[in-house]
Amino acid sequence: MIHKKRSLDGATRESLDRATNGTGTDGTGTDGTGTDGTGTAGAIEARGIVKSFKARGDVLAGRTVRALRGVDFRIPPGGAASFIGESGCGKTTLGRILAGVESFDSGELVLGGVPLAGLAPRKRAPHFRRVQLIHQDPYSALNPTRTVESILRDPLALRAKQTGQSRAWIDGRAREVLDLVGLDPGYVLPRFPHQLSGGMRQRVVIARALTVDPAALVADEAVSMIDVSLRLGVLNLLRELRSTLGVSVLFITHDVATARYIGADGELYVIYRGEIVEHGPTETVLADPVHPYTQCLLSAIPVLHGVEQPGADRLAPTEPLDESQPEDGCLFAARCPFATDRCRTEHPELGHLGGTAHEHACFYPQRRSVVATPLADT
Amino acid sequence: MTAATQATTSTAAAAPPAVTIRDLTIVYRTPAGELPAVSGVDLDLPPGTITGLVGESGSGKSTLALSLLGAVQRPGRIAAGSIHVDGLGNLVELSAKSLQEARGGEIGYVFQAAQNSLNPLKTVGKQLLDLGRSHGVRDRTALVRSAKELLAGMGLDAARVLDSYQHELSGGMRQRVGIMFALVLNAHVLVLDEPTTALDMISQANVLKIVRAVHTERGLTTLLVTHDIGVVAEVAERIAVMYGGVVVEQGETADVLRAPKHPYARALINAIPRVSGDLSAARPLPGRPPTLGTIPTRGCVFRERCAVYAERQLPACVAEQPPLAPVADGSGRLVACHAVAVEDQQATGETA
Ligand SMILES: Nc1ncnc2c1ncn2[C@@H]1O[C@H](COP(=O)(O)OP(=O)(O)OP(=O)(O)O)[C@@H](O)[C@H]1O
Ligand SMILES: Nc1ncnc2c1ncn2[C@@H]1O[C@H](COP(=O)(O)OP(=O)(O)OP(=O)(O)O)[C@@H](O)[C@H]1O
Ligand code: SF4
Ligand SMILES: [Mg+2]
Ligand SMILES: [Mg+2]
Repeated sequence: MIHKKRSLDGATRESLDRATNGTGTDGTGTDGTGTDGTGTAGAIEARGIVKSFKARGDVLAGRTVRALRGVDFRIPPGGAASFIGESGCGKTTLGRILAGVESFDSGELVLGGVPLAGLAPRKRAPHFRRVQLIHQDPYSALNPTRTVESILRDPLALRAKQTGQSRAWIDGRAREVLDLVGLDPGYVLPRFPHQLSGGMRQRVVIARALTVDPAALVADEAVSMIDVSLRLGVLNLLRELRSTLGVSVLFITHDVATARYIGADGELYVIYRGEIVEHGPTETVLADPVHPYTQCLLSAIPVLHGVEQPGADRLAPTEPLDESQPEDGCLFAARCPFATDRCRTEHPELGHLGGTAHEHACFYPQRRSVVATPLADT
Repeated sequence: MTAATQATTSTAAAAPPAVTIRDLTIVYRTPAGELPAVSGVDLDLPPGTITGLVGESGSGKSTLALSLLGAVQRPGRIAAGSIHVDGLGNLVELSAKSLQEARGGEIGYVFQAAQNSLNPLKTVGKQLLDLGRSHGVRDRTALVRSAKELLAGMGLDAARVLDSYQHELSGGMRQRVGIMFALVLNAHVLVLDEPTTALDMISQANVLKIVRAVHTERGLTTLLVTHDIGVVAEVAERIAVMYGGVVVEQGETADVLRAPKHPYARALINAIPRVSGDLSAARPLPGRPPTLGTIPTRGCVFRERCAVYAERQLPACVAEQPPLAPVADGSGRLVACHAVAVEDQQATGETA
């Protein structure tokens, strides 16, 4: 049963303290290889991340897919960065790179204040361990033949060995992480994944991620397979982990409203063909998008007729997405309703909108009202 | 010759058929005995409308959709009720052979996970010919022409798509191919199960636009199954909300979204985060959706999670499942809730 979180205690409080100490200090504090398995201090930073794949499939085989073309982002401790964009734009690739399960071709990644590019792969591992990936599918993420207790025990035992903790610590910590995710340890510990609901399973996945005191969670479509009624619970949990533990969240989704819910106080990144085309405080970008791609994306969100009215300037791309569209000018030019000759020949760089934190990569930034707004009397 | 084969040769627009489902119960055999996944459901699909069927996982949406195709399979069976489709009669009483002809013929469908339901070893064109053969279509040229028209109408390069294998098509293209298969034999009833799940926003918007256009152009009666209320809000004029195998509310989409009356419908709609407005207005729904084994067998299916019951403790909620009944405001809304019925009675009592 899901129940209210009890007070934080023991090791949980420890990580809370560390998190609080870390907040505000930027980048330099910990070296991240300490005996307690690193601190939370420092923002997560990515600079100019580039990643190409050799394309798969019959049609494209042999061609190079430029999945990421120099992506920058930064998430402060306890902060949230959401990435939205069409299918194939590089969101998952970015998340996997941050979690260390995918390599990158060039660029710099700073975790816990430590730049990783200079480190040998073996030395990178402990840093990457502190970034935990939460997948879309809570059904396949957990071994069906093992109880929740056994699922949590392995990473905790490893951790106990590294830090010289006792068996009792393992048991206590297993209960703590379940507590943190709002599950009743007595109920879930002896159960198998199939005996739990999707929402509960995703909480177990998050609890497992918490066993390593992560600095960041990469949530890749983490709630899209969970029932609507249970979704909000998991989103609230992620919000809570941000504030109580100082865990940073990289949130990847097609569902803009979900991105807003988790990171209204965070940053929103709009990614197109491996490039950030618009970025800023989430509420600003949603209320006042200036890039035509963002505007097309937001226009596609279904309107709850009867409760909302559609934005007056709703628009759609003129063409479907096609990876073979030109790359010389603006990557969106072939589909953009407003493209000019300049757009087709010159590449617009990401830059600030009139000295604000709001960035865009368009020669003709213009506010358009594309997002639905609540009808007056609801 | 069957209705389906004639249909491919004549494009005469017949009036869209009405679909009337009454007291439908569908059970699955489980180790714990036969358990209902759909219980005593009444549902009307008015001719020419799109009805959205929403509900959480396991609420019985796909089971209900399958029954419209006469495709409920073991361990499931239709235990009671009727499904009347204009021009076909009561599907529950049709022979296996007539059902097979109707399916994919008069009644087109796109299954849940249609993205992966194409045969990976055959081109789309080859599968089209297979479909024609299984429905006794003689005029293969007309069949291909009709498929090309549909594909082109959905913005696809028809010749290329017919020559493609599944893995050469994107998710959105596959959904469109699914819709082409559903309609190529000139169906008049269209059943779409989760047609946009797993698509990104722009592809979803495109597919929905196509569904809407094809529906109108061809004069269809459409049932669209989804767990995403936004999808229904975008394309369906009517909505039916399912919970634990029961339809708990039915009405005009905009009306229901504006003022849901059933406590579950209200809680479900309130649980959706929005892209604008007050974020804290979104509220989680406590508890979890029931599964076959945990659907209450007595009293209201929603009682355990119901905020109204928690507050008012009406004895009727424990005693029996409330019938789906019209609400008093004359809006044509149907709601299955004791508390709503009592309020209605009080209101009409006061004005009388
Ligand atoms: N292992 C790989 N080999 C070859 N190409 C790959 C590989 N992984 C990703 N790609 C390609 O890189 C691009 C970005 O893919 P990615 O999965 O990151 O997109 P995404 O934004 O997560 O899409 P979706 O919204 O569909 O999940 C796509 O063109 C994809 O086909
Ligand atoms: N072949 C089957 N055998 C036994 N039980 C089944 C079978 N198919 C479905 N069920 C059960 O019937 C109930 C209704 O299932 P159904 O697939 O109709 O739900 P749904 O509303 O379509 O859910 P989803 O949103 O997950 O697709 C569920 O509890 C499911 O477990
Ligand atoms: S009938 Fe009772 S328990 Fe069921 S939804 Fe209405 S108030 Fe709640
Ligand atoms: Mg992805
Ligand atoms: Mg289903």
